Amino acid sequence: MKRSPILTTFAWLVRDTFRQSIAHGIFWVLLVISVLSILVCLSISVSGRPTLAQGDESPDFLSRRDPDSTNSEKLKSSGVIVADGNFALAFGALNVPLARDTTSAIHFFELILGGGVADTLGLMLTLIWTAGFLPSFLDGRNISVLLAKPAPRWALILGKYCGVLVFVLANALVFVGGTWIAIGLRTGFWGPAYLLSVPLLLLHFSIFFAFSVLLAVCTRNAVVCVFGSILFWCVAWSMNFGRHLLVTSNDLMSQGIQSSFFGSLVDFGYWVLPKPADLGMLLFGALGAGSEFGKSFDTGVLAMHGFSMVLSVLTSLAFAAVLLFASARKFRATDY
Amino acid sequence: MDVRTRPHAAAVFEKVTKVYRLPWTSRRIIALEQVSFSVPWGEVFGLVGPNRSGKTTLVKILLSICRPNSGHVMRLGGPLSDRATLADVGYVHENPSFPRYLTARQLLNGYGRLSGVPASRLRTRSDELLERFGLIDRSREAIASFSKGMLQRLALAQALVNEPKLLVLDEPCEGMDLPARRMLDEVICHQRSLGHSVILVSHSLADIGRLCDRVAVLRAGRLVLTGRVDELAHDAVLQEPQSLESALEPLYEGALA
Repeated sequence: MKRSPILTTFAWLVRDTFRQSIAHGIFWVLLVISVLSILVCLSISVSGRPTLAQGDESPDFLSRRDPDSTNSEKLKSSGVIVADGNFALAFGALNVPLARDTTSAIHFFELILGGGVADTLGLMLTLIWTAGFLPSFLDGRNISVLLAKPAPRWALILGKYCGVLVFVLANALVFVGGTWIAIGLRTGFWGPAYLLSVPLLLLHFSIFFAFSVLLAVCTRNAVVCVFGSILFWCVAWSMNFGRHLLVTSNDLMSQGIQSSFFGSLVDFGYWVLPKPADLGMLLFGALGAGSEFGKSFDTGVLAMHGFSMVLSVLTSLAFAAVLLFASARKFRATDY
Repeated sequence: MDVRTRPHAAAVFEKVTKVYRLPWTSRRIIALEQVSFSVPWGEVFGLVGPNRSGKTTLVKILLSICRPNSGHVMRLGGPLSDRATLADVGYVHENPSFPRYLTARQLLNGYGRLSGVPASRLRTRSDELLERFGLIDRSREAIASFSKGMLQRLALAQALVNEPKLLVLDEPCEGMDLPARRMLDEVICHQRSLGHSVILVSHSLADIGRLCDRVAVLRAGRLVLTGRVDELAHDAVLQEPQSLESALEPLYEGALA
């Protein structure tokens, strides 16, 4: 059966993006980062109680650094447990005493890997490195021959966008999947929540790369795409975090700002722009980190101000869709 | 395309006008103004004119790379909006450039797939073309290492990968050595022998005179002459042969003014 030109275009552009990433060395750099992270995970070990919770009660424990932890009589009479485990890195070369139980230690480690290495550092590096893909693809001499092929223009721009997303997905799967298996093998902890980092990272990247695509179509300049997308991420994150800070603060000044025009403007910006901080909160919540490390914001108060994680993700996606639509329209109307 | 059902001309331009607006200013540049002509089947059609006369803009409009402001263009019997007709068109850009990380074979396979050539046909077609254009030994090297002449040959090979019924060559001789020029001549003659059409944009009136059946001269975006090359190469007043250069020279005069 003959494949449609659009499917053929998408398939070719996905392969083309992988070739481009291999030729530019990005593929290998990300692979090395993933392999190193997997090796680190293969070097960990954890000892101690899996959980300090007793029955349905919330955990009641003392850190071993607490002065009362040495008072055995007091401990016996109160029933409080002392956290006594260890988290070891580099095959025991580096030992970190557990502040709580092993489950929370692994959650914390996964939070660093998923939220810090993959979703923040990895996202920034990938946004920077892939920002040049579209401008070089749209170079007048390169693109002219492709524009004289049967596939519609929107398929070229969305095909390249999807190509980059598939590349990021493949890297996220290697990183998160590899580290998850390594952690599982070393600790016996196979909690699936960490795997949520993959779709979250992809979602996060897809939103900000859509902005990079629009910049590429408008300017065809890699530098503008790099700085523009990073700056936009900072603006969106600040708007997201700042708005939550504003609505959850109890002080009079915050309440004054909330009811002012500036407060309405912040609220408007929050709902219109993508919400990277909310995506971070989603991962934080999925890993159960909120109950272990404290919550960034009181979700109850946020909910009173219209916050909903589903709505947050959907509005972020809608923003990306609008950007892609605008990019496709601009590209369609551009003479080369 | 069946000869009985195919349209009477490979390309038709009717009163085509293209105006470029310069960004951030209200200045407008008229690239083409009310240009009308058609490219018959089985002919090699030359498009000549001084620099900035609108030749490249015209072929870009035909290939849907840019859009006309007004007028009507038919490509292989269909309107410009019918992109399926592009599957039967081959194009060589005036300054060919391809993704530098691809190999010649990957490029031919990829661009062939984008033109709708079945994967089963592509393998043999790519080999044929790489062999024909002397690139078979370098087919696994990245294009980044290719010389300008090799890039020109690769550009020609990619334009032929889909066995086009209309071949558009925009300044294809630039940077080509003598053997490559001979190859180009062979390609053009072969396309004509198959009953296919070729549009050749060139500054070389010698090439146009040697290869084309018909020629159109553009000047400052206007069509100033169309005619058969053999008729132009004959001085009607003196009743003797003349070069195409001397026949078209008066049309070029004052073009830079």
